[in-house]
Amino acid sequence: MTVQQATEEDIKDRALVDRSTRFPVLFFFTSALAWLFVSTVLGFASALKLRNPGLFEEAVFLQYGRLFPMHMTALVYGWAIQAGIGVLLWLMARLTRYRLSAQEQGGLVVLGHVWNALVAIAVICIGLGFGRSIPWLDMPSWMLPLFLLTYAALTVWVFPMYKNRRSGSVYISEYYLVGAAVWFPWIFITASALIGQEAAPAMAAGAASWFASNLVYFWMAPIALAVAYYIVPKIADRPVHSYGVAKFGFWVLAVLAGWTGFHRFYGGPFAAWIPAASGAAVVFILLAVVATYSNLWCTLRGKTQLWEFSPSLRFTAIGMLFFAGYCGLSALSIFPGVQAKLQFSFFQNGLDVLAVYGFFSMTIFGAMYFIVPRITGCEWPSAGSIRNHFWYSTYGILTLVVCLLVAGLAQGGYLAQPDIPFSTSFLNAGPWVIGSAVAWVLIGFSNLWFFGQMALMFIGKGKKSANPTLIHGGGHGDHDPQHVAEEAVAS
Amino acid sequence: MKTPFWKLILGLVVCFAFPWIFLLMMPYVSEAKVAPVGYTAEDEVEGISAYPERSTLRYGSSDYGAQVYAAEGCAYCHTQMVRPTYAGPDMWRYGWGGREADGLARETRPEDYLGESFAHLGYQRLGQDLSNVGHRLTREELHRHLYDPRSFDVDSGMPAYPHLYRTLEDGSIHPTEKADALVDYLLSRRKDAKIPVADTRNRQ
Repeated sequence: MTVQQATEEDIKDRALVDRSTRFPVLFFFTSALAWLFVSTVLGFASALKLRNPGLFEEAVFLQYGRLFPMHMTALVYGWAIQAGIGVLLWLMARLTRYRLSAQEQGGLVVLGHVWNALVAIAVICIGLGFGRSIPWLDMPSWMLPLFLLTYAALTVWVFPMYKNRRSGSVYISEYYLVGAAVWFPWIFITASALIGQEAAPAMAAGAASWFASNLVYFWMAPIALAVAYYIVPKIADRPVHSYGVAKFGFWVLAVLAGWTGFHRFYGGPFAAWIPAASGAAVVFILLAVVATYSNLWCTLRGKTQLWEFSPSLRFTAIGMLFFAGYCGLSALSIFPGVQAKLQFSFFQNGLDVLAVYGFFSMTIFGAMYFIVPRITGCEWPSAGSIRNHFWYSTYGILTLVVCLLVAGLAQGGYLAQPDIPFSTSFLNAGPWVIGSAVAWVLIGFSNLWFFGQMALMFIGKGKKSANPTLIHGGGHGDHDPQHVAEEAVAS
Repeated sequence: MKTPFWKLILGLVVCFAFPWIFLLMMPYVSEAKVAPVGYTAEDEVEGISAYPERSTLRYGSSDYGAQVYAAEGCAYCHTQMVRPTYAGPDMWRYGWGGREADGLARETRPEDYLGESFAHLGYQRLGQDLSNVGHRLTREELHRHLYDPRSFDVDSGMPAYPHLYRTLEDGSIHPTEKADALVDYLLSRRKDAKIPVADTRNRQ
């Protein structure tokens, strides 16, 4: 792939592609953000409940055992998957130069409404006491086929798009996007089919854990990496440093990710090799992380000052840092001595938050900062809001993750000492649980800034300007990296 | 870089098929085919004839109780999985592994969960492991725990479940059908059945 000057026609063509995705993508983004806010509130409430179990005792649906799964369902299905689908749609259309017809746009928006209705019903059902106590698959079992069908209808167009693409070359991002589209239905069908059969209940529990882990490694990671492999070269105005290394990273992830999941149940009721194989896969996935990192770093080399200006790059870079943190901590946590203490502690919860909120959400925010101005034709209203969003969410997530990880150490250290009374382990984590409640407030605050901006863009009240809104726009004259990159990079 | 559509899809499918078959489906099928091993005179077990005996884990309305357990999200704070000593010190917590006085305490094995619709292995351990709670607490104690956990342990972090109970006009408190079923389910948590001498399957 070489960088050529984009011709007039190219730019027009791209704008038409962008415009064709406008309504569905904006719909997915705004409703996903609304769910993110709902899940933040629920996360805050469940952290409060942990600290003070007697709180709102009369309200049945506000018990921790219902609040927490409601929070996770809203976060995973309402926010993560929906925002991911929006990014998938835009990025795939952009890379393959596929223009959505009016019917396709309408259909996607209708399906988006169906998806939102399903998530709302799922969350309400859990609150009313129809949950299943299966992490990330809490919705009542009759809803599973509906979720699957809606997802399939929302993503099936990825295949014709890839097959009939008008642009000549295939980008590494497309690999990741097609991969995510193929793998999700497979893991979802498998987990749904194995859970609830009486034949092998222990393996069913393993399959649930396998599903959650695969949703991270096989769906969120590919989409986040597709974004990174798109945004970084765009902003740096250079092709990806090495396609060989990029492909290596992709296939390492593809080969290994399916083996993860059982490491959560080390020492559980399985043949001992099963959790061990999962643990090994988690360690070797670090190869993919190193490959991706070095590649993105070389792509950006010498242009790191762009971090100062481009919100897309900044969010994506932080998301990628959290990705490395997630993979590294997961790999550390599978070692037997560590597992003995941290398994079943807040540490695992912290890892989940780091995956969904840390790396996936931050990368998706980066993508949104890039996408929304292009599909609406107006720029983000305020650089100050972007800064607020960035710093409050970065600090919020860091605080949350650190609190949960340290809570895990505090709790797990006591859990591993059988002569210490059990409830001490829980009490010992108490202060960190309060810290996590505070962090949810920070995150909620940062989301409000972003949601406000997105709402303005949605109703067309963005800034009408030829120049993109940069984090530090003033005083830098014509320096306009994102804009320049956009103009210069062609297929 | 040009990759034909079918080649990419084939690559993705092959990569995923390996763990799907070997990590998930084959162990699943082999667990589903577990055959009970009979007790012999040497085992000195009375009342049941084989391990695993599916009927031993069910008790009263424990099937409905399992649904209540899931609906209230109990599995988010309670595990039902006792790790062997190489993986963690669970066996040294009093009563977690089963009836220690009878020498029956042990880690949980896949067979212990047969007959349930889903093995709630758990997510976090904010509360005690419940694999053998049926041996540790009586029916009255379990009801008291559910109605007012802090009357039991002042430091308990467990929420109370008063909505599973109804108070009559004379002030007396009675469990609802749900509470009874949940307690049946908890009383049926006895995963320490003796492994027959003839069972040579090595699970560790």
